[in-house]
Parts: sequence; structure tokens; C-alpha cells
Amino acid sequence: MVFFLTKRLIQSVFVMLAVAFLAFSLFRYVGDPVSQMTGVETSVEDRERLREDLGLNDPFVYQFVRFTGDLLKGDFGYSYRTRQPVAEMIASRIPATLELGLVALMISLLVGIPAGVYTALRPRGFATQTILMLTLVGVSIPTFVIGIMLIFFFGVQLGWLPTFGRGGTVSVGGWETSFLTIDGWRSLILPALTLGVYQLTLTMRLVRAEMMDVMQSDYIRFATARGVPMGRMYFRHALSNTMVPVITIIGLQFGGVIAFSIVTESVFQWPGMGLLFLESIRFVDIPVMGVYLVVIAFFFVLVNLIVDLLYVLIDPRLRISDVS
Amino acid sequence: MSHYLKKSFVLGGALSLAALSVQAESFNWASKTDPQTMDPHAVNSTPVLSFLNNIYEGLVRRAPDMSIEPSLATSWEPLEGENGWRFNLREGVTFQDGAAFTSEDVMFSYERASSEAADTRSWFSPVTDVRIVDDYTIEFLTNSPNPLFPSSIANFMILDSDWAKSNDAVLPAKDSENFATLNVNGTGPFTVASRDPGVKTVLVPHAEWWDTPTHNITEATFTPIGNSATGLAALLSGDIDFIEPIPLQDVEQVESRDGFRVIEGEETRVIMFGFGHEHDTLLYSNDVTDTNPFTDPRVRLAAAHAIDIASIDRVLFRGKIEAASQLVPANISGYSEANQDRPAYDPERAKELLAEAGYPDGFSFGLKCTNDRYINDEALCRAAASMFAAVGLDAQLSTGPVRDYWEQLRADDFDMYLLGWSPGTFDIEHPVRFLLHTQDDEAKLGSWNFGNYSNARVDELLPLILKELDPAARQDMIDELVKITQDEVAYIPLYTQPLIWAVKDNIDVTQRADNFFMLRWVTVN
Amino acid sequence: MLDFIKRHEGLWLFTHSPSVMIAAIVALAILIGAVFAPWIAPVDPYDLSSFSLMDGLLPPVWEEFGTSKFPLGTDDQGRDMISSILYGARLSLIIGVCAMAIASILGVGLGLAAGYIGGRFDAVVMRIADIQLALPAILTALLIDGIARGILPPELRQDMRVVVLTLAIALSLWVNFARTARASTFVQMNKEYVQAAMMQGQHPLRIMFVHILPNILGPLLVIMTVDLASAILLEATLSFLGIGLPADSPSLGTLIRIGMQFLLSGEWWILWIPTLFLIALVVSINVLGDFLRDVFNPRLR
Repeated sequence: MVFFLTKRLIQSVFVMLAVAFLAFSLFRYVGDPVSQMTGVETSVEDRERLREDLGLNDPFVYQFVRFTGDLLKGDFGYSYRTRQPVAEMIASRIPATLELGLVALMISLLVGIPAGVYTALRPRGFATQTILMLTLVGVSIPTFVIGIMLIFFFGVQLGWLPTFGRGGTVSVGGWETSFLTIDGWRSLILPALTLGVYQLTLTMRLVRAEMMDVMQSDYIRFATARGVPMGRMYFRHALSNTMVPVITIIGLQFGGVIAFSIVTESVFQWPGMGLLFLESIRFVDIPVMGVYLVVIAFFFVLVNLIVDLLYVLIDPRLRISDVS
Repeated sequence: MSHYLKKSFVLGGALSLAALSVQAESFNWASKTDPQTMDPHAVNSTPVLSFLNNIYEGLVRRAPDMSIEPSLATSWEPLEGENGWRFNLREGVTFQDGAAFTSEDVMFSYERASSEAADTRSWFSPVTDVRIVDDYTIEFLTNSPNPLFPSSIANFMILDSDWAKSNDAVLPAKDSENFATLNVNGTGPFTVASRDPGVKTVLVPHAEWWDTPTHNITEATFTPIGNSATGLAALLSGDIDFIEPIPLQDVEQVESRDGFRVIEGEETRVIMFGFGHEHDTLLYSNDVTDTNPFTDPRVRLAAAHAIDIASIDRVLFRGKIEAASQLVPANISGYSEANQDRPAYDPERAKELLAEAGYPDGFSFGLKCTNDRYINDEALCRAAASMFAAVGLDAQLSTGPVRDYWEQLRADDFDMYLLGWSPGTFDIEHPVRFLLHTQDDEAKLGSWNFGNYSNARVDELLPLILKELDPAARQDMIDELVKITQDEVAYIPLYTQPLIWAVKDNIDVTQRADNFFMLRWVTVN
Repeated sequence: MLDFIKRHEGLWLFTHSPSVMIAAIVALAILIGAVFAPWIAPVDPYDLSSFSLMDGLLPPVWEEFGTSKFPLGTDDQGRDMISSILYGARLSLIIGVCAMAIASILGVGLGLAAGYIGGRFDAVVMRIADIQLALPAILTALLIDGIARGILPPELRQDMRVVVLTLAIALSLWVNFARTARASTFVQMNKEYVQAAMMQGQHPLRIMFVHILPNILGPLLVIMTVDLASAILLEATLSFLGIGLPADSPSLGTLIRIGMQFLLSGEWWILWIPTLFLIALVVSINVLGDFLRDVFNPRLR
């Protein structure tokens, strides 16, 4: 186990290095930061000097080594756009994104798994067909359209919910949370729904597919024949056998939630990392983009590690193939 | 960051307590972009300068009609016997931290704003020296007579020298932060109570402001909202009181609702097409590969005749644009009334001109446009491409975000391109200096003349126009210059971009043509 | 014989499920419309001289001011909505199907091999997947776009936008396939039939593709249909974020992105007609996907 963890940690460092390298190699295609940092009246000569001062004229490999070297020293650099320390900027945006992602994931799982089980057990029922149809329509509309429709319906027409931002947040030990105020929760509802609906459908459909597969398997048929009570059978035997793919999916979804939160955050002006990243792309804020990607890579590595550990816990048979 | 915030919260708290005696009126407003910094000399861009004009002040300021009026200087006059201006400063002005304002602060701010670390230094390129006469008199010497100088420094904001020095902010921060990036200390009507960059900034009135407040705001909160539909929803749901800009097509929707108002005006930004005047060949052509047809003025004129501004106005801009004949709109000083006609929409004439130039069947070329810089820029270019196609000019349209657009134009990667220009000095000299003069990096001229349009007479006229003190003689030279550039079709000026602001009915605001939003002109009823 | 029964039973299921029939008809109609767009569409929306701004913002024929020349109205450029949608669906389907095909071949191949071979190979594949996941689709698109810009001559760049976009979408989707295939392969590896095949000394490729693959198709088919849909939507989203297809050669997603500007302004048809069309297309793909899964999943036999 210790060996497995060490190995994975070493691999993780390589993953993050590779992400940083890839990210860095594409930054020059995003645009020219100096044009964004200066006004129209700035002279060619002043622009060139700024470029030189920022080290943008240095060879690519040199820039990359400097960036990773600074990262390893704990120096995350300064944003080109706001001139603030990048570490502070990203740290202050992490709670917003994680809380939004968490609530969206909860919606996806708490609704998706029961709905998946139900639709698997009653495949031809009217309710099943309705649920399947509705969720299909839900995922067929682009996220940004759903978000803006929700805003206009619940925010503008009904006036029930706020249209943008996080509303009231409370700082708990430096972590700005929405969970402790009513205003914060009200602001969370629409973005979390927008982000969760797509994931919900995916969860539901995967649980359903797995469940239907398992229901056909021999041992469930044996169990039915032996007269194991239906409820116990569905949830003890059948559902637990669908857990491996479902956990894979939760892991994937957390990734999906973080990735898709870029769009949701942009529609709801949600002050999370995704919004910061989009602003940084628009501004060619290379230090912020670089650190954002490394942080995201770290999240993914962590989530994948946890998923792999859970495999081992849930299905001991996997231990042999994965660990050895 | 929390450290800064806490500190500024204390300051803000004290100030808002002082203001509580008046009726409490909080005001929420939104715009597309957050000001990148609170440092008035670090970035020379509209979002920053507009925002900071509420906090800092210059020697002069602009009235609602864009005219220059006294601010920290009560009067100014040209120096006698040498080139330059003397400014008589206002007495009894205090900064937001209580320090007194004197000529030393102006001197310090000049040195700061003209330093290599500042993005505002181009304003001071004519300045050769600055002299303090006494505590309330200061003189700016210039290299030649410079009648425009006072108005060219309307956005030159003054900060307190002691405050900057004691907080280690003597120079603007370029690649790291300093105290002035997040904190302010100006003489203006408002000060920052708290700031969370990119999320929200709260301003409160400066109780000791020297001028009589005409606003009744006790707290103003700014939120950047990048997505225009979200911004509009925030206004309609009542979450914010004011937003600019809103999409043109939504104006009717806002006006039709009770409790909202749209304020329309004309910005000073002229949208135009530019050509690769000095390119030998077309880059993006399928048929003409050995030459550049756009070097022939007849071809450029044909392109101008192909554009149907009336239809663009009616369909794409809902009747809200003003067609342009030159690089500045009529409300800008130096506008050439003698040359106010633009090439008419005349596809037949365009085809004739193309045939005369040797392209009876037209040719294909590349048209570069932004899709996130100007109002409806992408739709405009699509419409223009379709209009060009109607006369045989087959435009290969390529649209993209502005973030790598200037880089492409600087690398000469275009055949024809879209550009918008707002005259920073509110005089026609500005676009002449940047867009029409031959490229000259040494002299800092023609830096946005991407296609390098070059005419010896234009280059000769510019310095004369800049120096001329007699308005009539000056206008004659401008008329001559505009005539040349129109005859040669240096650019195709299209229209002046509209300003569209939306407010709740109970709010009074004043719109200024430079699209600066001044909180001191806001009243909440 | 088995094949015949499968087909036969599939046919039976097909004719006895109205929703599947409707979905098939809708999908087929859209497919035909898309494939034959150049012959069916009233005008060629890519030909700039075929439409005029003068016809801009005309409503559908049943609304006031609508004209029978443009039965579904026109967009802000005066472009016929029917033609735009047919050509748009064509582009969306091409991008969606190609991206999904590339993603599934790459993902299933790697996932299956990773699950089967395990060890170092597995670790490398999964870490590459981690890298891919950490790069948001928008950045993958920027990267490929950047590389294309670096190596292609200027006149080709515009034409390559579709290829660039397809590759970017494929690259952001393959990980789903790989991880699911890998997880399912692990489960299958311990089944008797795989152990037996291994003991017989069958070639690993044969075991992977003949024995294991059919048994893990269930979840993969679900992902495939969902991903075909998300490929189409991702394209729209990338457009929304500013790096999709240019507005003058629009896909359905780009049409929706353009239509978004008219959400509130009264010209509802510019947004809602392409959106409804996209929903119809994606829903029928998903319904058919479910149906195919029911028919071809050997575990359900």
C-alpha cells in the first residue's frame, strides 16, 4: 500500500509537470500580454521594454524552467492583469468553485442514483419514459442557454432568486463560504442546478445501464430463485455491484464539474476559479493561467488517487491487478 | 489581501459614518470589465481611467459636454517668452487621508506618471521640464507651442507624494504589486471602502471633498459582469441600478418595461476598415497572388462604395449609429465640416471602378475582424463581406478575439482589417498622429497605422496643426489633410459607435461622450 | 442463427416501441436533410452573395411580416433560417460523429489495453488521461488551434477550423472511454471465460477485442451516445466561449450562440428554431442509442 501510494505520488508530480509544460507551450498562441497591459498611446519602445522586463523575449525553455523553479520555491508570481500575487488570487477563488461543484455533484448523485435504479427496475413504466425524456431534453440544451433561461425565469420574471454572484458569504478561517447564510444558498441554487443537470443525466444513465446489466447476471437470478427479498436484493446485491463504474463516474464527474464550471461561472458571474481563468485568457494573463492549470492538475491527480484507492476498498479482487 | 481589506474597511467605515447624516442612498452599478488596478499611472485604458476619475483628480477635468474646466488647478495660462503652461493650483484641498494638496504633489505625480514604469508617459512626451514656482503654482515647459496640452492631461491624476513614499509606491507597479495597486488616496469625491478585484468594489464619499457634491450617494458598489445577458438580467431583476453597455437589440425590451430607462448617445469611437497599403501582395487571395490591388485608390474607393451603411444601421444597429466621413465624429474639435460627405452606397460605381483598375470580375482577399472588441463587430464584418461579395470583392472573413488581434495586425497578417478609434485628446490630431502619419517608431508616430498609409503632405501638416494657435488657420490645414485622406481612401470610415446605458427610472445619470461614468453626477431619487 | 434472432428480435422491439420509431424517423429526416443540404436548402448560406442585409430579421411565415420566401424567417444577416439549419446540422453531425469516433477508438483501445496489460503501461495511460483531464476543453482547443496556426499557411487556417475543433473535442472526450473501458476490463479479467481464454494461450489482442470488448459494450454504448450529444454541445459551448466555428460557416451550436443575442429582443426564431432542431437531433440520437444498447448487449440475451 505504501509502495503504491509513493509510486502514485511520484507519477503525480510528473503529471503536474507535464501539464505545466503543455500549458506553457500553448500560452504564446493565446495572444500578446503586452498589448493587453498597455494603452493605445504607449510607444513601441515602451512596449518592447515591458516585454523584455517580463522576460517574454527569453527562450521558451528558459521561461518554463523559471516558472517551475519559482513554483517549487513557492513563488507563484504576479498577475499581469491586476499585478496581485497569483497565489492570493487563486486561493481566494477556490472556495466559490469547490462549493458550487460540491452542490452540483450532490444534486447529480442524490437525484441521479435513485432515478437510475428506479428506471432500471421499471424499464417500461410511464414514469421511466418521462424521466428519460425530460433528462434527455435537459442535456440537449447547451449549458449556457439553460443558465440564462433559469436566470430570466427565476431571477427576472419571478424575482425569486439572485441573478449573479455569490450573495452573502461568511468567512470561516479564511474560507469564504456560502453555506452559512440564506442569501448564500439562494445564490447557489441556479448555478448549481445549471451545472448539475448534465451530470445528473450522466449518473442516472450509467447507474441504469449497470443496474440492468447486473440484474441479468446469474447470481441475481440465483438470489431471486432462492427467494431473497426484492428490496434487499436490489440495494444489497445489485446496487453494490454497480459501485465500481459509479465511483469511476463520480471521479470523472468531479472533473467534469470543475471543467464545466468555467461556463456556469461565466454565465452567473460566479467569482470562482473558472471565471478567473476565462478573464485571464481574455487578458493573456500568463502567470494566472499557468498556476490555475497546475492547481487543476493537482485536483485531478488527487481525485483519481482517491478513486483508485476506493476501487481497492470496494472490490478486493482488484487489489491484485492494480497494485501489483 | 485580507490585510489590505481590513485596513481599508476601517477607513471606509469612518467615512461612511460621517456621511450618514445625509439620507442613505446606496447605488449598485455594473460594467463589462473590472478596472485592473487602482493605480492611476499603471494602465492607460478606459475602464481604469474612468473608474479612478471618481477617486483621483487631475489639474483640469471634463464637464458633461467634454469641455475642460478647472479642477485641482483653478486657472492656467500659456507662459510668456517660452513654450509651456502655468497652472494655478486650488488651495485648501485635502487628500482622503487628510494630507494637504500642494504643488509638490503635482511634481511628484508628474515624475511618477512620466517614469518608465508608467503607462501614461506618452502624455508627457512634449514636456521638457516642470518647475515649482510656489506651493500653489507650477509650470510645465514644452518643446514647442502646445495649445492642446491642458486638455491632453485631463486624466493625469494627482496622488499624495508623502503617502506614496511612505507606502513604497513611488513608482507604479509593473510586474508585481505595490500599495497603490489596491489602495487609494486621491482628492476626488469618492474613496475605496473595500475591494475584491474582479468581484466587487465598494466606494464611499470623501467627506472633505473641496467641491460641492451634486450626488446623493452614500455607498456605491461596482460589480463587473462580463456576460451581457447576465448583466441585463441583473438590471431587470433589480439587483443593480445601472449598467453599461447593454446590447443594442435589447434596448426596446428594457424601454418597454416599467421602471427602466435607456440613455443613448454617441461615443467618439469611429469604426473603420483599414488596408495593407504597403503590402506587395495579398496574403489571403485565391486568385490574385502577384500584386496587391488595394494599392490602387480606385479599388479602395470601390470597396467604400460597396458598403450600405443605411442597411447596416437599420438591421444590425437598430438605427442607432451615425455614418462617418472621417476618422472623428462631428462633436470632436478639428472635425472637417468641409469634408463631411462619405462615398455613397453605389454598387454599380464600385463595379466600374474595379473594372477600370483591371479587376472586372473582382478578386478575393482576407478581411480580419475582432468579435469581442466593438459593438456587433462580428455581425458588421459578416454584413460587409456580403456587401463586398455583391460587387465582386470576395472577402475571406476571419474573426477572432481581440487578445491576439493587435499582434496579428502588427505582424502585417491581413489584407483588410477592422479598427475602431477613439481620439484620446478629443481632437482630430489624435487619429492623425496614430493612424495617418507614416510609421515612425523613433518619433512615436503612426504606431497604429498598421497598413502604413503614407503621404508626405500629411506628415508635413501634422506638426503644423499641433503648433498652430490660430483656430481658422488650423482648421484650413485640417481640411486639407482630411481631403487628401478621403481622396486616397486611406481608410473607409464607417460609423460612430453608439453609447447605450440602462438605468432604473429613479436614478439620474449624466452620459459623457468618452464613456466615463462619473458617480458625482448620479442622483438616486 | 443467433444473429438472425438478434436482428429479428431487434426488429420486433423496434416496431413495438413508438418512441424509438419516432426517434428513428426524426434522426433519419435530419440525417437526410444534412447529407443532401446542398440540394435541398433554398440558398447556400456560405455564399455571401446569396443573401442580403435588406432581408434581415424577417420572422417565420406564420408571423406578421413573415414572407413565404423565408418560411422560417431570416437571421440578422438576412440569411434564410432553413438553409442555415440544414447546413448547420450537417456540420454539427460531421464534427460530432468524427470527434466521437476518434475519441472512442482512441479511448477504448487505450483503456482496454491498460486494463488488460496493467502495470507500467496502465500507469502511463492513466497519467496521460490525468493530464488530458486537467486541461479544460477550451485549452485543448486553443492548443490545437495554436499548433495549427503555427504549421499551416495563412490561407488554409480558416478551412482547418473544423478539423481543429473536431480534434479538440475528440481529445477532451477520449478519457471517458478510456477510464470506463479500463474499469470494466478489470472486472472482466477475473471472469472465468477470460481466464479460460488466457489459459488456452489465445492471442492477447483476440482476448481483448473478441472476448472482453463485447462484454463491456453496455456502458461504452451509453457513453458513446451521450458523448455524441456532448460533442455537438461542446462545439456550441466552445463557440460561446469564443473559440468555435466562425459565424459565416455556422454549425447548429454556432447558430444558437448567435441566436442567444436575440433571446430577449423579440426575434425568438433566431435562437429557438436551431435550439429545437438541436434538441430533436440529440434526443433522437440518445433514444436510438438506448435502443441499440438494449438490442446488442449480449448480457441481456
